[in-house]
Amino acid sequence: MKIFDYLATIDRRIIYLIIAIVVILPLVFPRPQRVRVMTPTQKLFEAVDSIPEEKVLLIDFDYDPQTAPENEPMAIALIRHAFKKRIKVAALSLYVQPLGLAVKALDQVREEFNARATTNEDSIIYGRDYVLLGWQPPPIVPLLGLGISISGVYPTDYYGYRTDSLPVMWGIRNLSNVGILVSVSGGSAPLWWVAYSQVRYGVMVAAGLTAVSASEFFIYYQTGQFSGLMVGMKGGAEYEEMVAQLDVPGRRRASEALGSLTAAHLTIIAFIIIGNIGYFVRRRRK
Amino acid sequence: MLVLIFGIVGVIPYYSQHPVIQGSENFIRNDVIRIVAAFALILGLGSLLRVHFDKIRRGRVNWQYSYVLIIGFIVSSIIGLLGGRVGEGFLPTRIGTFEFHMQVLFENIIVPLGSTMFALLAFFMASASYRAFRARSLDATLLLATAFIIMIGLLPLGDRISPHLPSFVQWIMDIPNVASKRGIGFGIALGSLATSLKIILGIERSWLGGSR
Repeated sequence: MKIFDYLATIDRRIIYLIIAIVVILPLVFPRPQRVRVMTPTQKLFEAVDSIPEEKVLLIDFDYDPQTAPENEPMAIALIRHAFKKRIKVAALSLYVQPLGLAVKALDQVREEFNARATTNEDSIIYGRDYVLLGWQPPPIVPLLGLGISISGVYPTDYYGYRTDSLPVMWGIRNLSNVGILVSVSGGSAPLWWVAYSQVRYGVMVAAGLTAVSASEFFIYYQTGQFSGLMVGMKGGAEYEEMVAQLDVPGRRRASEALGSLTAAHLTIIAFIIIGNIGYFVRRRRK
Repeated sequence: MLVLIFGIVGVIPYYSQHPVIQGSENFIRNDVIRIVAAFALILGLGSLLRVHFDKIRRGRVNWQYSYVLIIGFIVSSIIGLLGGRVGEGFLPTRIGTFEFHMQVLFENIIVPLGSTMFALLAFFMASASYRAFRARSLDATLLLATAFIIMIGLLPLGDRISPHLPSFVQWIMDIPNVASKRGIGFGIALGSLATSLKIILGIERSWLGGSR
């Protein structure tokens, strides 16, 4: 019966070691996993896909390095989709820290497309195809101000160019010229876009969320206030799956990470079961 | 009085499209709030530095780390203000092929540090769930079973076990989860409304530092 005592009291260092192995191995030898696309992600993809030429896809980067492994693949898949379909992209952030991640994601996808481009028309050019508007504190300023004037809130973009002077912003005055606003966030920023910008100006809002925070958002998805959702690593992988069908270059980080996530989930479940077996046997003995 | 005025001014534009009201609100939001935020930022930075200088002077617990904060603050401020975000400033931020502008600092210091801190959570979570997640009662068993279904159903593996599993997980998220969250949401909204009204009307003043 010693084995059950051991099962109930496994040293935490052994747990750490096993978790490290099961998380790291699938990342070292990545194998993209295929996933079935669920309705919330499908709806988001269709909403982005149907943005008319005269409107812009507004991406709110509101994730930080802590949640970037989950959120960044979502943002990258979104940008790839938009660039492939030649949808104009405007990016912003409600906080300062995600700006560096926005620069990284936009630069990465631009380089992926430009590596395959043969003409100026094929290329992705800053100012013509996309713009990084930057950050304007406090968050309430863009949340409500964009409904009146985008260039009023962001007179200059992140790099200091006059927003009005950029071709990508010609004809884009306020939220009525936004096809859909997608907030990729590790927190509650998507809810603010619904509460302030959508209620007042009627802009379509969707979100890319971490799995842990997703339960908060399904209320608003069910009522149609969110036009689509990408939930967790799997949501990112679902979007990557759909974008891959458009013959878009680039690594599928979320699909690759699903192997690691699967292994970690199964290991945690196994540990919980082992812990419960040990607990029940010891309790019966007492 | 200020809270009363600005509280009401913040609400009225939702109910009236009059140009004067909309224009005033636009002015307050775009100009006044930004100026206040800029002052708040300076105040916050000043307060942060004062606290850490004080900690060093008095030799409080872990005072050594305050040097890291102050040096990091000064170095990043100089690089950010004079060198620019991506090296466009007049301070050189490149020595040969080695770059050290803000984007480089962000990608090579903030990103790895933040990711590392959050990655530790996986280890603590695994250890904590092993120790604490016990099927001690019916409620705990239900919670445990739901957690297992959600964890497996959210993975590609769930679809391989049964094509109905992801749909069942979606149903759990859409129906029982939404029902409980909506109830909690209504409670929070009504509570926030009552608290906001109390603050606007001056009934609740404890946020000013008073006892009431």
